[in-house]
Amino acid sequence: MSFRHLLAIIRKETQHILRDRSTFILVLITPTIVLLLMAYALTVDIQHVPIAVLDYDRSQTSRAFIREITAGDDLDLYAQISSLTEIEDLLVRGAIKAAVVIGPKFGQEMQTLRGIPLQVIIDGTEPETGGFAVDHLSLRAEAFIGDRLAGRFHEFGLDANALQPIDLRVRTWYNPSLKARVDLIPGLISIVLGFPALSVALTLAHEREHGTMEQLMATPVGRAELLIGKMIPYILVGLLNTIFIPILAILWFKIPFNGNFLLFLFLAALFLFSILSMGIIIGVFIRTQAAALALSFLLIFFPGFFLTGIFFPIVSMPEEVRLEALALPGTHFAIITRGIFLLGSGLDVLWPYAVALVGLGLGFVAIAALFFRKKLA
Amino acid sequence: MSAGCESAPIIQTRSLVREFKDTLAVAALDLEVQRGELFGLVGPDGAGKTTTLRLLSGLLDVTSGSACVAGFDLSTQAEKIKPKIGYMAQRFSLYGELSVQENLAFFSELYDVPRGEVKQRQARLLQFAGLTEFKDRRANDLSGGMQKKLALACTLIHEPPILLLDEPTTGVDPISRREFWDILTELHLSGTTILISTPYMDEADRCSMVGLMYSGKLVVSAEPKAIRARIDSDLIELRPDNWDSARKILQEIEGVREVQTYGETLHVLVDSAERRLPKIEEALHKRNIGYRGLREMPLRMEEAFISLIRKMEN
Repeated sequence: MSFRHLLAIIRKETQHILRDRSTFILVLITPTIVLLLMAYALTVDIQHVPIAVLDYDRSQTSRAFIREITAGDDLDLYAQISSLTEIEDLLVRGAIKAAVVIGPKFGQEMQTLRGIPLQVIIDGTEPETGGFAVDHLSLRAEAFIGDRLAGRFHEFGLDANALQPIDLRVRTWYNPSLKARVDLIPGLISIVLGFPALSVALTLAHEREHGTMEQLMATPVGRAELLIGKMIPYILVGLLNTIFIPILAILWFKIPFNGNFLLFLFLAALFLFSILSMGIIIGVFIRTQAAALALSFLLIFFPGFFLTGIFFPIVSMPEEVRLEALALPGTHFAIITRGIFLLGSGLDVLWPYAVALVGLGLGFVAIAALFFRKKLA
Repeated sequence: MSAGCESAPIIQTRSLVREFKDTLAVAALDLEVQRGELFGLVGPDGAGKTTTLRLLSGLLDVTSGSACVAGFDLSTQAEKIKPKIGYMAQRFSLYGELSVQENLAFFSELYDVPRGEVKQRQARLLQFAGLTEFKDRRANDLSGGMQKKLALACTLIHEPPILLLDEPTTGVDPISRREFWDILTELHLSGTTILISTPYMDEADRCSMVGLMYSGKLVVSAEPKAIRARIDSDLIELRPDNWDSARKILQEIEGVREVQTYGETLHVLVDSAERRLPKIEEALHKRNIGYRGLREMPLRMEEAFISLIRKMEN
């Protein structure tokens, strides 16, 4: 391998990235924008669920209860209504996702410690939203009632806690607020870093379409020099993104970053190497940019979404699909990003995934080198 | 095999065949180019000129047959041939986003031009191609003619003994074409072997050797003079008023071998101009067809080319 040839290819490709506007945007700007868009669009954080309240009691207690459940951003009081038929109307129109019916003796029963009349009606066509409303309501109701009860127990000189046979407290670690974004965004990083791979596939096809590949093949440049020289600038550009995107994730989306940033950069470089090798394979086999684009989406982005465990857990996949998932660099890098961001994992835990990335990358490069010939047809 | 190439002419093909899916682009080509020749490859579109040049540049696999280029076997030593040739594709195939100078620099590196000589060679080639004042301009922003000259400069950066040029002047204005050929003539005089394909017959006339390709084969390979001599005919030119019927009448006359049309002008190939000129006048008078500029002309490459191709087609 001639170092001189390699440098010449690297320099030329860097100039191309910096001067060709569409390439520049694709590799340097698109990843950030796509991350922003996806993080907002795909977030499953449910907030501001509109509800209606039918209050038969109209006591001080029931009004306090309504204030309690609609405090904060989770549930919004859409309307206070006076009949059950209105609920159906509002649900059908989609104005509300849930309704709360407070029984006529709500305040009174709270005092006497009998069954407290409370009903929740949810819109089953959006089970997630409805489920969220129920969860939230029961949580708030328990807190509300618990407070009142504690007061009553106190009146009788009893310790409320002592009366509870089981004290079950569920706590969520690493993502305490259970915000989906927190685990989604590190996963999304592995998708948006696919753009440099797309770009490297496009640049090879671009050279074929513009005839520059013909000129290159007529020179003594080596195949490895050409392929590696093409990859290196995109790895560097990808690393620039890798520095910038976590900063965005941390500052903008308030994602915790518990791990070592240098380790993250190092593993991102390995990921870029392996995903770019996939791009190189596409570029070796495909002759037009349009086809390279289509194939990149098919081989890099779609599996990136569906198979790498970002949205759908890998453990729930059938065996064959799981094997396919393991052959995708994104699967390993999604584990790495989550590990570093949320768990603060180190190389002692993540090394198998790093090894997988290197192995996949070398395998892909070998395939590309095997099939790339300095021939036009 | 390579032993056979060492003593072979600088370019030599033997029954060279290149097959694409359903076409035989090059069919048993036997081509010989001697060192220092300026060899013009002519032939109609689809005759296999581009495929031949790509094969010789090592850009395509040989289907069968063999070829020697610069003393190396094309099938087994293609990478050894590449430093010895300067190949210029038919399309503009340099990097549009790079400047003139950057393109030259890029190819200097790929061709391993000795570091100490890079600057000097670039400056000389820029001068040579008349691009010195445009050296910082991006290749995309050059005129077509300047792009061709830049492409030529890039293929010359490693001072190759062989140049393979695929229709380098197609689509270039006449002045740029002339300048381009002045450069080629200089290279030819300095001893470079040049194999150039061209659709222009006046260019073929400037070559030291001309090869006519037809259907993937080399039909004729000779000096331009010899090719013209092969057409054992004299040429008579005229501009008739009624072009279509004049053509039909002329074809009937004894001794007329061929009538070629050039716009409004007819070129009549005859066995002897001296004997047939009066006959032509007489025939046209008899049918009341007016004409201008009836005269004998020296036979050019163009008429010879068309005549040869017609013979092939029949």
